[in-house]
Amino acid sequence: MPNWNSAIKKIDINNVASVNVKHHSELFISEVEPIMKLNVRGKSRDFLSMIGKILNIILPTEANTSTTNEHITALWLSPDEWLLFKNNVTNRGTEETIIEENLYKNISQKKLGSVTNVSDQFVMINIQGQNLYELLSSGCPFNFNDFKNKKGAVSQTLLNHTDVIIYNEEINKINLFVRRSFSAHLWSWMNDSARFI
Amino acid sequence: MFLINCPYCGERDQSEFSAGGEAHIVRPKQPTELSDNQWAEFLFMRKNIKGVQFERWNHSHGCRKWFNMVRDTSNDKIHAVYKMGEKPPIK
Amino acid sequence: MSKNLRITNNRFIDQTSKISFKFDGKTLYGFKGDTLASALLANNIHLVGRSFKYHRPRGIMTCGSEEPNAIVQLGKDPSMTEPNTRATEIELYEGLEASSQNCWPSVNFDIGAINNFFSPLIPAAFYYKTFMWPANFWKLYEYFIRKSAGLGKSPSQPDKDIYDHRYLHCDVLVVGGGISGIMAAKTAAKNNLNTVLMDDKNTLGGTTLFQQNECFKINNSYSNEWIKKEIKTLNSFKNLTIKTRTSLAAYHSYNYLLARENLTDHLDLNEKKDKIRQRLWKIRAKKVIIATGAMERPLIFNNNDRPGIILSSSIKKYIDYYGVKCGKKISLFTNNDSAYETAISLNNSGVSVNSVVDIRDKTNSLIVKQAEKLGIKIHWKSSVVNTNGYKKINSIEIMKLSDDNTATVGKKIIEECDCLGISGGWTPRVHLFTQSGGKLKFRDEDNVFLPDKSELDQISIGSCNGDFELDEVIKNSVKLTNNFLKVNNNDYENLEIISSKEIDKKNIWLLPSDIPLGKTKPFLDFQNDSTANDVKLALREGFKSIEHVKRYTTTGMATDQGKLSNMHALGIIAETAGVKMGELGTTTFRPPYTPLTFGVIVGRNVGEFFDITRKTPMHDWHVDKKAEFENVGQWKRAWYYPIDNENMHEAVQRESKAARDSAGILDASTLGKIDIQGSDVSEFLNRVYTNAWSKLEIGKCRYGLMLNEDGMVYDDGVTTRLSENHYLMTTTTGGAANVLSKLEDYLQTEWPELDVYLTSVTDHYGTVSICGPNSKKILSKVIPDLDLSDKEFPHMSFKNALIDNIKCRVMRISFTGELSYEINIQSSYAKSVWEKCFDAGKKFNITPYGTETMHLLRAEKGFIIAGQDTDGTMTPVDLQMDWIISKKKYDFIGKRSLYRSDTIREDRKQLVGLLTEDPNEILEEGAQIVGKTNKQPTEMLGHVTSSYFSPNLNKSIALAVIRNGKKLKGQKMFVPMKNKTISVTITDTVFLDKENKRLNA
Repeated sequence: MPNWNSAIKKIDINNVASVNVKHHSELFISEVEPIMKLNVRGKSRDFLSMIGKILNIILPTEANTSTTNEHITALWLSPDEWLLFKNNVTNRGTEETIIEENLYKNISQKKLGSVTNVSDQFVMINIQGQNLYELLSSGCPFNFNDFKNKKGAVSQTLLNHTDVIIYNEEINKINLFVRRSFSAHLWSWMNDSARFI
Repeated sequence: MFLINCPYCGERDQSEFSAGGEAHIVRPKQPTELSDNQWAEFLFMRKNIKGVQFERWNHSHGCRKWFNMVRDTSNDKIHAVYKMGEKPPIK
Repeated sequence: MSKNLRITNNRFIDQTSKISFKFDGKTLYGFKGDTLASALLANNIHLVGRSFKYHRPRGIMTCGSEEPNAIVQLGKDPSMTEPNTRATEIELYEGLEASSQNCWPSVNFDIGAINNFFSPLIPAAFYYKTFMWPANFWKLYEYFIRKSAGLGKSPSQPDKDIYDHRYLHCDVLVVGGGISGIMAAKTAAKNNLNTVLMDDKNTLGGTTLFQQNECFKINNSYSNEWIKKEIKTLNSFKNLTIKTRTSLAAYHSYNYLLARENLTDHLDLNEKKDKIRQRLWKIRAKKVIIATGAMERPLIFNNNDRPGIILSSSIKKYIDYYGVKCGKKISLFTNNDSAYETAISLNNSGVSVNSVVDIRDKTNSLIVKQAEKLGIKIHWKSSVVNTNGYKKINSIEIMKLSDDNTATVGKKIIEECDCLGISGGWTPRVHLFTQSGGKLKFRDEDNVFLPDKSELDQISIGSCNGDFELDEVIKNSVKLTNNFLKVNNNDYENLEIISSKEIDKKNIWLLPSDIPLGKTKPFLDFQNDSTANDVKLALREGFKSIEHVKRYTTTGMATDQGKLSNMHALGIIAETAGVKMGELGTTTFRPPYTPLTFGVIVGRNVGEFFDITRKTPMHDWHVDKKAEFENVGQWKRAWYYPIDNENMHEAVQRESKAARDSAGILDASTLGKIDIQGSDVSEFLNRVYTNAWSKLEIGKCRYGLMLNEDGMVYDDGVTTRLSENHYLMTTTTGGAANVLSKLEDYLQTEWPELDVYLTSVTDHYGTVSICGPNSKKILSKVIPDLDLSDKEFPHMSFKNALIDNIKCRVMRISFTGELSYEINIQSSYAKSVWEKCFDAGKKFNITPYGTETMHLLRAEKGFIIAGQDTDGTMTPVDLQMDWIISKKKYDFIGKRSLYRSDTIREDRKQLVGLLTEDPNEILEEGAQIVGKTNKQPTEMLGHVTSSYFSPNLNKSIALAVIRNGKKLKGQKMFVPMKNKTISVTITDTVFLDKENKRLNA
């Protein structure tokens, strides 16, 4: 197996649960170990029901929301686009490949929509703590007043001029998805910003 | 900085959007049958009026959907937003 | 002269904590809670600066942000100094050092003051008029004017302070923490609205906080006691955020506001370290309540600018709030009742008031009667016609006003004083309202502009809305707030209010004097040194618009933006021109309300965070190999890899040679990659590219050129058919985001019927490109199972493969003209695969090359770079790429434009190759190309777009665009440079391997 490299720090984190835990007055930031992420797109009813059948999940159709089951979470990105990600890491490679191939075969190849592996397109960063929204408001024009209290809420917006997807996992706990090439810079910015919270 | 009500995502800061010029200019289905002047009319001519204008906007840092907006360019008031393919809610 | 002008029974200044500071090098003392201005006044220092044009001595004139005179330079280190700060807003801290501006060698002896004696020679627009001619003398004038221009000194070193930005969303924003703001904020908070209350001072309460006067009572308490209790109740609301020391700078549309919070400016020097100095709040409020109050107007009379002449309400604040006496013998000059509040305050603190000079006939309001009861002398229907004293006022000259108020009559009274308080009435602070696009209306009765119509969800309450009496302020603020918030707060119903009422009003914009007007100095704009005479001169010279008069005389154009001067300028213009003030309009108030530091505007977008940087998965490897980096969009790309002190040219020559002789390796991860799926992809590609895509087989790659509707080349790249309905498109590095957005645009708006889905995978894959005659051997070591034979894996095809169990895609495509493979693999593994390829290639001297070598190699082959050889004005025909335009396709983006009358012109600029006569001469990119050198004016035929020295051809090569270039092949042209003219010959664009033999080497 070739070495897996984090975009954020120059360390090999094969078999390490999480890296770069930053503790700063009620603020924890950590990179989540690479997990499978899939982008799925489609418009038809058949598309929605096929996804439901394969993954046992109903894709959210309400804007800025998500659905989740034991294994997978689905984030609404647009009326015909969703981001799916595995809730936790299992045997990297095998199980993920099965899910992806199954979806590809039944969605893409059957002309119901598209299934694209974006596991490495995004780096997933977990931020938690009471000061989390102060950190975000240092560089994000989005109004978190309602979002904060709404478990499962999703928003695509800008953080320090960088596109991000923010998912409210629990109160004062979010997962942030940022494109890999931007992640080191954003990570650095977040750590710098955290100094002033 | 406007506050724009994306027809899909709701109210968002203007920095999440990009403007795409005048709305309701349909690309001709048979461009090759047009004269230079007719093609130029589609390609170059835009109203750019002071007052109520119909515009295309893209929620480029959000859902990436294009939509239409009715905006008064004299005071930046947004009168309406509506999805692509929908009829303008205001004349 | 006693230096302590401090009274002892003060409630706001902590007289137990002494603070030392330096002003103009002299160590002085003040107390915690002082401003620099109050501390200076307590030390009997009035003279703090010199005026801009005439260098007249100027003193502290106000106690707030409208201060025009007390503008000081902060900090002792000239490299870190901060100019143009207002002494009235600087809170005193231990270690503060400040100095006067605009004077040399010192504020007490200023050489520039000679301008004052020449002042009749320096009228309005003196500089405009004088230095206009003779025109070629400007070079001479400029040197001297630049030397004397500007206020203060700028720092020469980067700002070490830390600044921050923060977004804030609230239901209600209340601007101004005076009595109306406090009541409004409480009303909003009580009704569960998420509320923010801000004030630029360090405490809430406004002027009510120190208003202890029998004439102003609420429920039997002095108004200051009542407001203190109200402030206390605010603390109980969790949904109310109070921000003091926070000045609202800008009010934009959609209730988007910017405010600057001072976090450490008031702290002692040693406490400031490592903390954020100022924070810019970017506020989005559903509703805005403006309660910014009013500011006092000066009076315009002869020599009204001497140190010691202070706004009457400021004298009151200095005595009531700071416990500082502005003088020992104070006279007051007014046209309204508020000076009497000052007289009473001074009297209560034991400061003798010489007299009040009032331009009105006798009036009998409650407060005037109280002043009379205290024995304060009043000169009714009188005016101050002159003041005396150079560095500090020492007497005033008082005369009676004529019945028509245009002249002075009777005997002149000389009254000695060391301070003169002036009050010309009140101006509502409508700046924020107008910034937001609100329209003003004029109230004739007391000559004020008031908020009228606004498109935004906002109101103005209190004295910024024209309510100046305590009972009206309370009654109207409560009513307006309740209506605006649609709530019913009855906390403030049935308050018992005692409030003195002003009965008589009178206003004279320019007060008469016994001296002829032309010989007087009635200052309007104290900071820019313009007088009422300057404004009158401008009108005589024909200027009519207020905006023109403002710019001609510079009235209102100093750092205070004319907060004190604008109303009088308008008044005098209206009077002189014989028009009504309301019809004249006002000049535009623009943000920021008070000057902002550059630091707070920039925030933390400095240094590392100046711009976003994107990195490829192999970035650290390039860093380890000491690569130089090039910015391509936001990407950091390896530019070249110097070895042993090589310069760029040497490194690039070595890299280019190695790539063609044996093997090179390039990080191509930055190329845009779009995953395309759907049943209509091939039709979609037919519509977006100029060439045909219907027959592209699965497993094959094709180069495509994308145009704009105007027919100009927009982007290019290779697209691969991965399976039946699945394609991978690559775009240029810089064009990736725009191409995706453009394609989405067409799919969503023009062609919604197409079943096509686009997903960006640029970041998902890292791309390792290996090229050169030995690339096949290297790849076979990395992926031994893959059949690399030309038959199985020909040029322009792709294979799925596994590298150590990780899936990857290998494309055999070439941007260098060499045999070449690109491996796309999940980014997390890309660095390790890169290293694997590098190790496998060591035997073949595999050489990492950067973008510069890549550009050189493709130029040898005549391949274009969209954005370098094209600039949005080149069609494929111009690029001599006619072969890529499908003749069969009915339509594609830009097709119709390719035969517009302009695009079919034969003499368009066209891409050609250039060879220099001297093969060692390298042309400069961007250099102009001409046909004849002796013709004037020289006709520019085109320019060089790419130029390199080719180590493989051992000569200089270039690409250029030249008018009618296609037909000029073989012709000689010239490239004139600064010191020489270079001869070139037009050639074909392909310099190397025209037969493409190397692709299969």
